[in-house]
Amino acid sequence: MPESPRRIIHVDMDAFYASVEQRDYPELRGRPVAVGGPAESRGVVAAASYEARAFGVRSAIPMARALRLCPELVIVRPDFARYRAVSQQVMAILRSCTALVEPLSLDEAYLDVTDNLWGEPLASNVAKKLKALIRGQLNLSASAGVAPNKFLAKIASGWKKPDGLTVIAPERVEEFLRELPVEALSGVGPVTAKKLRAIGIERLLDVRAAEDERLHRAVGSQAGWLKSLSRGEDPRPVEPDRQRKSLSDENTYEKDLTDLEQIRGEIERIARRTAEGLAKRKLRARTVTIKVRYADFTTVTRSHTGIAPTCDAAQIAARALALLERTEAARRPVRLLGVGAHGLLEEGESLPVPGSLPF
Amino acid sequence: MNLLKTQREALLGPLQAVTGIIERRHTLPILSNVLLSRTDTHIEFVATDIEIEITTSMTIEGPGETKKLTVGARKLVDILRALPEGSEVTLALQDKRLQVKSGKSRFNLQTLSAEDFPRLVLAEASATSLSVPQKLLKALLGLVQYAMAQQDIRYYLNGLLMVVEEGQLKLVATDGHRLAYASREVGGKNLPKQEVILPRKTIIELSKLLEDSDDSVAIELSSAQAKFKFGNVVLVSKLVDGKFPDYGRVIPQNHPKKLKLERIALLQALQRAAILTSDKFRGVRWVLGDGSLKISCSNTEQEEAQEELDVPYKGETLDIGFNVGYLVDVLNNLDVAEVECGLGDANSSALFTLPGRNDFKYVVMPMRI
Repeated sequence: MPESPRRIIHVDMDAFYASVEQRDYPELRGRPVAVGGPAESRGVVAAASYEARAFGVRSAIPMARALRLCPELVIVRPDFARYRAVSQQVMAILRSCTALVEPLSLDEAYLDVTDNLWGEPLASNVAKKLKALIRGQLNLSASAGVAPNKFLAKIASGWKKPDGLTVIAPERVEEFLRELPVEALSGVGPVTAKKLRAIGIERLLDVRAAEDERLHRAVGSQAGWLKSLSRGEDPRPVEPDRQRKSLSDENTYEKDLTDLEQIRGEIERIARRTAEGLAKRKLRARTVTIKVRYADFTTVTRSHTGIAPTCDAAQIAARALALLERTEAARRPVRLLGVGAHGLLEEGESLPVPGSLPF
Repeated sequence: MNLLKTQREALLGPLQAVTGIIERRHTLPILSNVLLSRTDTHIEFVATDIEIEITTSMTIEGPGETKKLTVGARKLVDILRALPEGSEVTLALQDKRLQVKSGKSRFNLQTLSAEDFPRLVLAEASATSLSVPQKLLKALLGLVQYAMAQQDIRYYLNGLLMVVEEGQLKLVATDGHRLAYASREVGGKNLPKQEVILPRKTIIELSKLLEDSDDSVAIELSSAQAKFKFGNVVLVSKLVDGKFPDYGRVIPQNHPKKLKLERIALLQALQRAAILTSDKFRGVRWVLGDGSLKISCSNTEQEEAQEELDVPYKGETLDIGFNVGYLVDVLNNLDVAEVECGLGDANSSALFTLPGRNDFKYVVMPMRI
């Protein structure tokens, strides 16, 4: 017997930082605004208002490039303390509907509204009311996606933006999935997407049709997960207390590795993947850990804590490689390698860092 | 065959002096051993971690043959330490086992061949040699070593720069956020200039082994190795290959704001204030105004500490933050009554010096709190 479907909402604030700035400083309204570091100090765009997006300004692009795209761009230094405070107000509104709220970052959260405090049976009505409350109390707009699981809800909230509301009813899931490219799958970044394209998988539905073994060869242990997503299935519950303490990634090898260069290559690859994971969740880590399991199953870990938190792939990879030297990898055959990031800080969570000497 | 017979303490001293560098984890089992090498008149103890090699020797009386063996260092030290003070100990070799005898105690330890014990190949020519009192080098190391980096990926910072130049011995250590420099006249203006980076572990071991005495330590520096000879100890260390940052560039020259501070009063104020910093947040705020330096700390629970020192300062107000650990470190390792502090603006480094002297400099970057 299939379980009765859950009702999950993904709420995503529209251009959050930029919208907070435009709300609090009326002179910014209607103008292209980018929140981020100045172009001279190689800042990047943390958020762009919809006016700026019309010029092609996107988050994560260098501010210098943003200025070339849009010379009248207004650059605002981020004030994370204020964004955090507003974020808490948003989350409080969401929690007035259900305790099952899982914040993903300052401006995004999942809610499980199957049973909600308002006694509202229609999830689309819940979403409408949440958007109205956010608009009414905070004067900000949010987009929402309503679906039977997290994966679909998140895609749905991005479907129409800003101020959108997209509902994927259980019976319309199949129709919806037909439209999607592979990148829509969560966990499929540009690297995995390229691997999938290499074996002829362009659309999400092709994943479903792919033979298990072929898929496994292309993307390894992710295969099973991608397959269930491609069927529109995602059993992950909404976890209200989830606060990431660490993020890690590891790989077990069919054949033990004995070549140091190959092991270094693997560590670097896994470290970069871990860094990507951090960047995607807008987290930075202070501690990098590596895990090495030798052929005889003895496992060692080595870790290093830096002063400044980072999600920079090159830096995390360099630290992981330095840690590798403190193991016997290659001198002893290796069956598993892993890289972890700990001591995580969220975006805007400040950690005073002493300045660096200008060597 | 008897190797030696002596007092427990006479053996423990030279043995413990070498075993400090033995790593708990290593790849070669023999590296956890100590090499015992008996000649007619001496017995030598050697330990190594492949980067550093320490040798100590003791003269022995009584007959003996030339013999070399290696034995588990930690076990031997543990046994000797557990014996009663002042006991007489005999070491003897029997069927490739080392027997330790004392009173009615007997221990038989397995040995590994001395042939397999990895020795450092000694540098052929030493480019620069000098000799200074042990206490001078020990004090100099104490002035800078706390500023060395630990496990930094800039591996050359995990050590200490030693420069011999124009009759001076200069030491520099930095972790990228603060830098300590100390120098002393050592004579020998004609010595060729030499710059080496000594590994962190070498420095820590060296400062443990050096004594506060006027006896000298002979320093030999070559392009690949450093050698320190003092008392009955010879310490040979590989060098860190790499380019140490140009320390001269980061020592600020003309800071507009200067103040003299009582070292102990400042240290104690900082230590008290630091109680209310959390582990993650080691920030201390300095607000310098006419006649006073206000020091404050707060933690994530919004608890606050405030201290105020009277200082002979007149001028612009400055509001600047530091990692309190960096300030406590330098104040703890000086033994003077007063320090001089030079400050620029809230973004420039602070410079700590000793009044009327230019042989000590400590640069620390501020942090935004």
